[in-house]
Amino acid sequence: MTQLTIAIAKGRLQPKALELLMRAGVELSRDATSSRRLAIEDESGRYRLIFVKPADVPVYVEHGIADCGIVGRDVLLESDPDLLQPLSLDIGACRIVVAARNGAPERQLGMLRLATKYPRIAARHFGARGVAIDLIELSGSVELASVLGLADCIVDLVETGKTLQENGLRILEVITELQARLVVNRASYQLKAEAISELIKSLEESMEASGSD
Amino acid sequence: MISIFDGWSYEEITTPTVDYYSLFEHGMGHHQAHYAFRFSDTDGRMLALRPDVTSLVARAAATLFAERQRPLRFCYVAPVFRQQPRSHAEWKRESTQIGGELIGGNSDAADMEILGIICEVLERLELDRRCSMTLNDVEVFNGIAEQLKLGSEARDEMRELVDARNAADLERFLAHHSSAADARALAQLIRLSGKRKILSEARRLITNPRSSLALDRLERLWSVIEALQLADRFEIDLGDVSRLDYYTGLTFKIYISGAGTRVGSGGRYDGLTASFGKAEPAVGFVFELDMLTEVLRQGFDESSLIKQSTAATKLSGQNLRDLFTAARRKRATGERIVINWNEEVQ
Repeated sequence: MTQLTIAIAKGRLQPKALELLMRAGVELSRDATSSRRLAIEDESGRYRLIFVKPADVPVYVEHGIADCGIVGRDVLLESDPDLLQPLSLDIGACRIVVAARNGAPERQLGMLRLATKYPRIAARHFGARGVAIDLIELSGSVELASVLGLADCIVDLVETGKTLQENGLRILEVITELQARLVVNRASYQLKAEAISELIKSLEESMEASGSD
Repeated sequence: MISIFDGWSYEEITTPTVDYYSLFEHGMGHHQAHYAFRFSDTDGRMLALRPDVTSLVARAAATLFAERQRPLRFCYVAPVFRQQPRSHAEWKRESTQIGGELIGGNSDAADMEILGIICEVLERLELDRRCSMTLNDVEVFNGIAEQLKLGSEARDEMRELVDARNAADLERFLAHHSSAADARALAQLIRLSGKRKILSEARRLITNPRSSLALDRLERLWSVIEALQLADRFEIDLGDVSRLDYYTGLTFKIYISGAGTRVGSGGRYDGLTASFGKAEPAVGFVFELDMLTEVLRQGFDESSLIKQSTAATKLSGQNLRDLFTAARRKRATGERIVINWNEEVQ
């Protein structure tokens, strides 16, 4: 029997990804899902799940250490990994937006100072429109950069918009809307073709079933 | 592996490490050549460390070997150099490629000859039970792009979506560029992988003449593969669309369980030699030697190699004249020696 290793992005996406996998027939015990272990096996032994930081999901899958992964598309857009993306999942819906402090004047001249966790997405977006930007790369609490005047605006992931609102920021523009994706290693896609197409099919079916409720 | 090439009458060819960047740009297309390390010559022209050997072999065929009788059969082992910004898994700047090129043969026989050599290499390395090779023909995709009247930018976009098996975005893309019925049919392209059966399924969905010719070629090739009882090692995968611009027909990729990325690839490149003066049909393949070594090392006892290397006669002595007279005498007979420095110090 072929075992598939699935890398799952820890954090925001993790509980939703586990729930989706369970609906698709991956048998996980309550013990397994609530423990802090970084690698668990399902009851049937067909799947092994590993939990890694979102940005590391494509790394594990590209090396073939994991055959598949579940990760937000923001990570894929930012790191542009060489992976297959056969399925868009109906979890983790969010937007990547440009936001600025309420009432901040729009800069007319000179470089736009921009803080973000997503330098490549930001550079690509503004580059396509010929806007020169001065990128400041941060690793978290990006909203602060705009509030405290480190940057004119920010590019960040927004789920509900609440954090922005509470910090007095408003959305200027939506760069893209995204969901989580199932990603697959190119070699595994060939060598474990049957197991992978089975996983894709059951994920699709479980999403359709819940969509029609 | 070189002995296998020799067995199929392939001659080893050496190509320059440094050459003009424009040569690779012509050969590989701008997108792929861009991965080369570039620098300028004394006269200001752009040079590159070779990112690819096939372009250089194609040029040699069109110039140095222009007068030689066809077909030409060449093989090589050579390092290539690429910047690796995209992929985490293939980050190495330098990798060794081992490959073969068959130039001047435009037939199913030429395609099959190349696949035959690959099968023999994998058998000799005892990897044939662990491997899976995918076959495709770029003309299947080219026919669809032509049918949809895609410009070069849209064509690239569609190719990337198919290549990533990105079903959701592909359907959205196709909805913009074709009728609803066509979109539904063509979106199936990325799911078409398997054995002979998928060819008839493909014929139902894809009906333009250019793609149909390519499907015919694949079917003929598959019949030979079946007759040779090699069908369990091959898969047809119409969603495997190569990024390398120079391929014009058959393409293939080689995967081995235990390696996270592909270990080899190749295909037909009938247009490549035209950029060097004379258009000729050609087909070739390349193995990533480092990936192959990695796979072979798994479950291999490395200490057996080390023992072998210690089997040498130790020589030592205070008198350097005697020591090196003895050393030279033993070397003349081809004996393996090691000069022992430590004893001399004592």
